[in-house]
Amino acid sequence: MKEKIKLALAQISSKRENKKENLQKIEELTVKAKEQEADLVIFPELSLTGYVLHDQIYELAEIIPGPSTKRIEELAKKTGTHIIFGMPELSEKTKATIFNTAVFVGPNGFIGKFRKMYLPTHSVFEEKRYFRPGYQPVAFNTPVGNIGLFICYDIFFPEVCRLTRLKGTELMVCISASPAVRRRYFEILTAARALENTAFLAYVNLAGVEDGLQFWGGSRLLSPTGDLLAKAKYDEEDLIICEVDYSDIRAAETFIPTLRDLRPELFDQLKKYSETL
Amino acid sequence: MKLAPSVLQLNLTEVEKRIRRFIKEYVENASADGIVLGMSGGIDSGAVAALSSRSIGGDKVIGLMLPEKETYNSQDVDDAKFVAEKFGLKTQVCDITPVLESFYKTIPIFDQGDRLCKGNIKARTRMIYLYYYANKLNKIVCGSSDKSETMMGYFTKWGDIAADISPLMDLYKTQVRKLAEHLGFPADLAAKPSTPALWPGQLAETELGLKYGTLDLILYGLERFMTPEEISQQLSIQKILVEKVKNRWLSVEHKRRLPLTPKIEYRTVGTDFRLPRHIY
Repeated sequence: MKEKIKLALAQISSKRENKKENLQKIEELTVKAKEQEADLVIFPELSLTGYVLHDQIYELAEIIPGPSTKRIEELAKKTGTHIIFGMPELSEKTKATIFNTAVFVGPNGFIGKFRKMYLPTHSVFEEKRYFRPGYQPVAFNTPVGNIGLFICYDIFFPEVCRLTRLKGTELMVCISASPAVRRRYFEILTAARALENTAFLAYVNLAGVEDGLQFWGGSRLLSPTGDLLAKAKYDEEDLIICEVDYSDIRAAETFIPTLRDLRPELFDQLKKYSETL
Repeated sequence: MKLAPSVLQLNLTEVEKRIRRFIKEYVENASADGIVLGMSGGIDSGAVAALSSRSIGGDKVIGLMLPEKETYNSQDVDDAKFVAEKFGLKTQVCDITPVLESFYKTIPIFDQGDRLCKGNIKARTRMIYLYYYANKLNKIVCGSSDKSETMMGYFTKWGDIAADISPLMDLYKTQVRKLAEHLGFPADLAAKPSTPALWPGQLAETELGLKYGTLDLILYGLERFMTPEEISQQLSIQKILVEKVKNRWLSVEHKRRLPLTPKIEYRTVGTDFRLPRHIY
């Protein structure tokens, strides 16, 4: 595994319901990121289709692996990069059960996927109307690091990040479709999740406007002590290349030993009380 | 939460940026050649004119002044012209009086004394003019309804509310006034009393029975799920006033929605037919 990697935060505005155009954009930006020696290129939540889809999602969801993931796999092979992007995933076993999924591919093909665990269904969000939640936090040991994935609202639940960290993650990747009114929350939470887990955190948000929802961009890389290492523009599309030096984690872990100080017995209580809320 | 005027304070630079981006992207995605909007001389339409002009350039924005003889007010015309000049948009004046008089003459049951029904004809006639210009010139209609009026149902159904986009609809009236000042409007124009101009001398605050400063705080509290009791205590006003506002807000939801239809089939327009807006 590389000790240092170059990340590309590919903050795009997706064309809603237009997979062809979005795939083209993903290809163009991956090539551009590779020219700047990126090892891992990250695209936002549902970047393949756009976020505000309502009932059209049934026409857009695909099984994984499927035509779109195959195309991104080929792109990863051709460019020698790792790529993470978001898409609506159709369950293989049913006709209309959909997950909000992050897909991870590399030069050797498909690596894995993460199905969003916490589906916001409040305010402007109606994800539970369309998606089934995922049940497993994931961490993938790859040549570009041990990488954990989660999606947007999952970041409000520290246990998701904590579980990926306990599975060995050193770079937590959060892909997102966060509207501007929530910018402050994500700016706080991204730093908090990085710091409390003493791991890198890459956050990649959509930009652009969909049905009046304005995605605020502001994609970023946080250090294991919660410091902002790189930040994309607010509101607009952007491509940021930044570096992750995994050796920084050791210093952070000794300075803020949250993993050493974990108290597993509290987790039983957490379970008990959350069941009786 | 303490209900005080400070809760309505916004980062106006950020709000302006967000609205401008919204307008610009909508016009582009709609492949429209610009915007047409009604200019009454009031602060809402003035603010929308300014924002439209700054978003896509004044040469692509037409402000229609649609006066009629009963409510004609030269100050309103001057104010609208001032805004158009300041923000560099084009204007046209269409006197709607003859059209209105035709309506009055040709409606068999027309009641001259029913000023509300009569006034609604004015608002709907203005809508027809705006949409004619939009259709003819491939523009979109930009509405100027604010959140206070929309929550209170203080508008004419299919009249002044009719638009393709309403960039101010998430801002209370007092916030629109602050935004107007931020955009460079003179303080007296930003504070100008609002009127829907349905009949002579009509004033919004008189009809609503509350000053916007108080009304907006009540609505803000309701928006955040506060009870009438909490709101009345915090604002030191009678609970019955808050309840009246709440009841009015709830009772006029029909004005803010598509017409209701009985659920008969698989997916139904207006309820569970949930589709993204296609404006490409």
